[in-house]
Amino acid sequence: MATLPVSAENLITQFGPSLNFPPMQGYPGRDEPDDVVKTHCCFCGMQCGIKLLVKDNRIVGFEPWEEFPFNEGRLCPKGVQRYLQNNHPDRLLDPIERVEGKGFRPIAWEAAFERVVSEIQRIQGKYGKDAFAMLSGVSLTNEKSYLVGKFARVALKTRNLDYNGRLCMVSAGAGNKKAFGLDRGSNNYSDLAHAEVVMICGTNVSETFPTLTHWIWQARDNGAKLIVVDPRLTPIARTADLHLPIRPGRDSALYGAILHQLIKHDWLDHDFIANHTTDFEKAKEAVKDYDLEWAERTTGIAKEKIMQAAQWWGAAKTSFLLHARGIEHQSKGVENVVACINLVLATGRIGKPYCGYATITGQGNGQGGREHGHKCDQLPGNRDIENPEHRKYISGVWGIDEKELPGKGLTAYEIMEAIHRGEIKGLLSICFNPLVSLPNNNMIREALEKLEFYACIDFFLNETARHANIILPGSLHEEEEGTVTTAEGRVVRIRKAVNPPGNARTDTSILLELAKRLGAEKHFGFNSSEEIFNELRVASKGGTADYFGITYKKIEDNMGVFWPCPSEDHPGTPRLWEDRKFKTPDGRAHFNGVAYREPAELTDAEYPMILTTGRVVSQYLSGTQTRRIGKLVEQYPEPLLEIHPKTAARFGIKDRELVKVVTRRGAAEFPAQLVETIREDTVFIPYHWPGKKSANQLTSGHLDPVSKIPEFKVCACRLEPQGRPAPSPAETKAYASA
Amino acid sequence: MNTTTFRTDQEFFFDPQRCIGCHACEMACAECETNGQTAMIHVDYVDRFLSTQTSVQVCMHCEDPVCAKVCPADAITKDEFGIVHSANTARCIACSNCVQACPFGVPKKVEPLDLMMKCNMCYDRTSAGKKPMCATVCPSGALFYGTREQIGRNRPNSSPVNTFRFGQQLVKTKVNIMMPKGATELVVDSE
Amino acid sequence: MFNTLNLRAALVAAVATVLLVASILIGSRNLTNFDPALVAYLFGCIFACFGIVYRYTVWLQRPPTWRYFARGWKLFFTGRTIAYGWELVKHFIVQFLGQKFIRNRGKARGFGHMLMAWGCLLAFAITFPLVFGWIHFGLKPGGINIYEIFVFGFKIMEFPLHTVLAEIIFNGLNWSAILVIAGVMIMMRRRLTHAGQIAIQTFEGDWLPLLLLLAISLTGLGISLDYKFMEGKAHQFMAITHAITVILFLLWMPFGKFYHIIQRPAQLGIAIYRRAGAEGPQAVCPHTTKEFDSQMHVDDVKAVAAELGFNYARKDGKSHIEYSPQGKRALLAKAHLKARQKAGSLFG
Repeated sequence: MATLPVSAENLITQFGPSLNFPPMQGYPGRDEPDDVVKTHCCFCGMQCGIKLLVKDNRIVGFEPWEEFPFNEGRLCPKGVQRYLQNNHPDRLLDPIERVEGKGFRPIAWEAAFERVVSEIQRIQGKYGKDAFAMLSGVSLTNEKSYLVGKFARVALKTRNLDYNGRLCMVSAGAGNKKAFGLDRGSNNYSDLAHAEVVMICGTNVSETFPTLTHWIWQARDNGAKLIVVDPRLTPIARTADLHLPIRPGRDSALYGAILHQLIKHDWLDHDFIANHTTDFEKAKEAVKDYDLEWAERTTGIAKEKIMQAAQWWGAAKTSFLLHARGIEHQSKGVENVVACINLVLATGRIGKPYCGYATITGQGNGQGGREHGHKCDQLPGNRDIENPEHRKYISGVWGIDEKELPGKGLTAYEIMEAIHRGEIKGLLSICFNPLVSLPNNNMIREALEKLEFYACIDFFLNETARHANIILPGSLHEEEEGTVTTAEGRVVRIRKAVNPPGNARTDTSILLELAKRLGAEKHFGFNSSEEIFNELRVASKGGTADYFGITYKKIEDNMGVFWPCPSEDHPGTPRLWEDRKFKTPDGRAHFNGVAYREPAELTDAEYPMILTTGRVVSQYLSGTQTRRIGKLVEQYPEPLLEIHPKTAARFGIKDRELVKVVTRRGAAEFPAQLVETIREDTVFIPYHWPGKKSANQLTSGHLDPVSKIPEFKVCACRLEPQGRPAPSPAETKAYASA
Repeated sequence: MNTTTFRTDQEFFFDPQRCIGCHACEMACAECETNGQTAMIHVDYVDRFLSTQTSVQVCMHCEDPVCAKVCPADAITKDEFGIVHSANTARCIACSNCVQACPFGVPKKVEPLDLMMKCNMCYDRTSAGKKPMCATVCPSGALFYGTREQIGRNRPNSSPVNTFRFGQQLVKTKVNIMMPKGATELVVDSE
Repeated sequence: MFNTLNLRAALVAAVATVLLVASILIGSRNLTNFDPALVAYLFGCIFACFGIVYRYTVWLQRPPTWRYFARGWKLFFTGRTIAYGWELVKHFIVQFLGQKFIRNRGKARGFGHMLMAWGCLLAFAITFPLVFGWIHFGLKPGGINIYEIFVFGFKIMEFPLHTVLAEIIFNGLNWSAILVIAGVMIMMRRRLTHAGQIAIQTFEGDWLPLLLLLAISLTGLGISLDYKFMEGKAHQFMAITHAITVILFLLWMPFGKFYHIIQRPAQLGIAIYRRAGAEGPQAVCPHTTKEFDSQMHVDDVKAVAAELGFNYARKDGKSHIEYSPQGKRALLAKAHLKARQKAGSLFG
């Protein structure tokens, strides 16, 4: 496939992103809705409960759902505006087909399916099954995630299936599996309430999980000390009792140094370590040289602050440690995670009330999606695709011969690299916009241009889909029944509020039809989402993520059920490890020795600054949905380069001046925002924007060796002030940058 | 009409130091029926250069509302529940006296409508026994609507205060600000 | 309002009422041109005149109102009368006749209000001069086909009967009634269906005015329809209810919602005030360092607030009012931060 069929500007005029604003007096019918549907927000792992107001098959507004236990009506701006993704002028209403030099033209479903299936067969016939890859995403429900996993392995028969959770929290998952043998936050957030110390590491909670703030505030009201580790003074760090402004990419050094102090001052739970863990000595050995001076030099944090953190953490009787992308998006993501877990295990504060640990899963169904579906190395129930017993069990559920079940495939970024090398020739994607969300996206663009055939299922023509041959118009979150699993491990119900508009279809029906045409009909005889869920329950049975005891009715009656839930009379498991029976082969929690190593790319004379990336509160991930909602775009209209005034003075950069940021992979221009809330050696750019405004033109493709998560959070850059003020955001239109 | 189930035991409490600047309140306010897509709550950075601190401001519903006093058109009234209502649309002549006089910086002149609009504590919701939109969605508890007992229980280290001093002027309000335990007033004067 | 009689206002109202009576006597040539059928309406108008002028004068005496009133006229007559006059004409056409600002509040709402406003203004333009005897019609002597119009007893035009022009003139009030009825229907629908309106509307403030307008228009139209189709069988009923509703309308004018018809022209003064303000020096907020209003307005608000007993003077000699709304909000947040810091923790 060559470049785009017509210019990106041309496609933007036709397919957006364009901005949706509600009419001044609201949508008609909001006062007297036909239906009030209790469901969840489609953005982020909190999965806040929300009620959608429906009139004439349109979502016309929302109402807070105050009874839902996690958020009790609370929402962030994305949640408040989520309903505007419905009735959107950019919505794809028909299958469309690439026409060279013209753009895209609508075609009939029959023709679209025929073309997709014949291309899959052609490519797989010519180059082998694995030459056709599939990429998926975890905004999909558990049902759809499961279906995608089964579809890729049973209908498409490719090993190369992976998902956008690969750039979310796979390092946390891998770290948790190493330490606990299971991948789920150990506690639900109500255990924050009486934690004496809350340490949040590399997570801008106030902007990325705003509704979690309430739980942290509640802990503080009850006397908790809040420690925040972040290179920037984020809103949650501003009032924290202790802010550790860490140099990006040095996290494992900090946690190693804290462990060093815990050991030095004997702030340890020796009984717990002796009876329920292994390898403490290895962890101890690894940090033996990490004294405060070394830590200050390495992390850039004043040693008094590090000592204070160690002291608070060491002396506490109860505590909760939370971490997220800040420590996970690194080439040593897994090491950072297990270094955090070492602190939890050393003090034995887990599996008890108000003693907690969890990664804050970022994506809507980041938790459930990775357990049951589309991760290249996993089978439903968090099973291992290379474990013969696991393979046998799932093959049995699916009714296939174990030999037919493909093995472990490439991860998301590696799939794009394989496409770039010409090894993978065809791609089917759903719910993923890698051109915005993957690092080093100039390489991603080149890869997309090399595909022989690319089919995409999406509701909008996202930036990546512009490279597709066929786009199959799928469904929004509110257009299908299903379940998702929140960051807490709580399985909740997503309810269908409206039908897909025009000729758009549900994602499920599209996948089922493709499976049928690929000759796998007998394995895909599902008539409803609930039937898929019931098969998922069986498939997960006996796995670590056991959903067998969870039914739609049980979820509805209890407003969510926490897995594992092995039988129908089981109440679910809000807090793990109360029995101290860890899911590792030896039943113990594992310390891991974490020797500090540097991030993959260091600063030097040519690239003297550290670039880190992240999010803003009004946008979600690659922005396919949120860059189309008017008020969210207005709130933070374009990516800004956050830079410390002293650094700015050093480079002669003025506020709002356009600055070219150059890395080894690319260059892009951003307006400077001078703020004292960032480290002097670091600049920050949020990444939700496409094209020329994409921060991921700059980020590096260095991967964590275990989890293959890319190092979004650290790379080296150079700043070149352009000597002119940046144009106004209205002129730049970053939301639709080509 | 005129029937109301306004709950007099419920009060509004706010705390600018809890605000995380997310603007959920602003977006939710614009969903309210009485003000049709114009947000009445204000969220701003205090000084982004220095800090991520934000200010958040709802109408404080003063006991002696200066906005109503300086209105040349008698457009602003206070009702029996102490709610200072947004300008009467028939009367307001959009002079902006209230905008400049309000010590909290609350009233907003909406230029194309030639009208002042301000927070009326979500009267469409509170008069029906519901909580205001902003305080319902606020994810950080910077805005809270409930009883005095609830806030006392939830926030043992703070005291609700409804007395302000702007220079020489003492202002008493219906809405409370959460202050350090034992405080009785908030003084806003030269730094 | 009548708890304490405002003597100055009573005096002004009395003078205005005397002037109105005088103009009636002059206009109708000592009542020779006066239509006796309209006598009830006449008394209604005279009482309304007193009430409206009284209320208006009381209103003008309020410090903020008087400041704008005095300032507006002073600006108008000091130098830039033509420019400001043009501003007034523009404002009158766009906002009063065009009702743009109301249309911006909602399409249906703007359209409904425009119909009511035009209907009412047309009706006023016809009925007041007729009732006061300022205008009367008569057959041109020596024929049965030509009608003449007299203003203050002077003939100003004549027109033949049974022409389109004649129909338009004779049915002027019917046309206005139709406009008002259509407008009222739109507004009532809004008040019945819009949740925001339902929440804040009151019967006497919002529904009674609509019902009154509807009653006036229906009975007014009824008089004509009764003549045309029912040979005047319902004349008595229509005429009496029409008279009662109109007189209610007139007497209620100074108190209720309809007072805004009298009050609204003040907006013209604001237009001049704002233009003059924009042309003069601007106030700069010490916090945001940006211009936020005219210095004249900030000074005036400061003076009015002081007159009303509000004193925002600070220790450093500045007034809190010198800050923009955003600046004031930031000051409060900063003061709160300071109080928290003083107590030892930003959080509590």
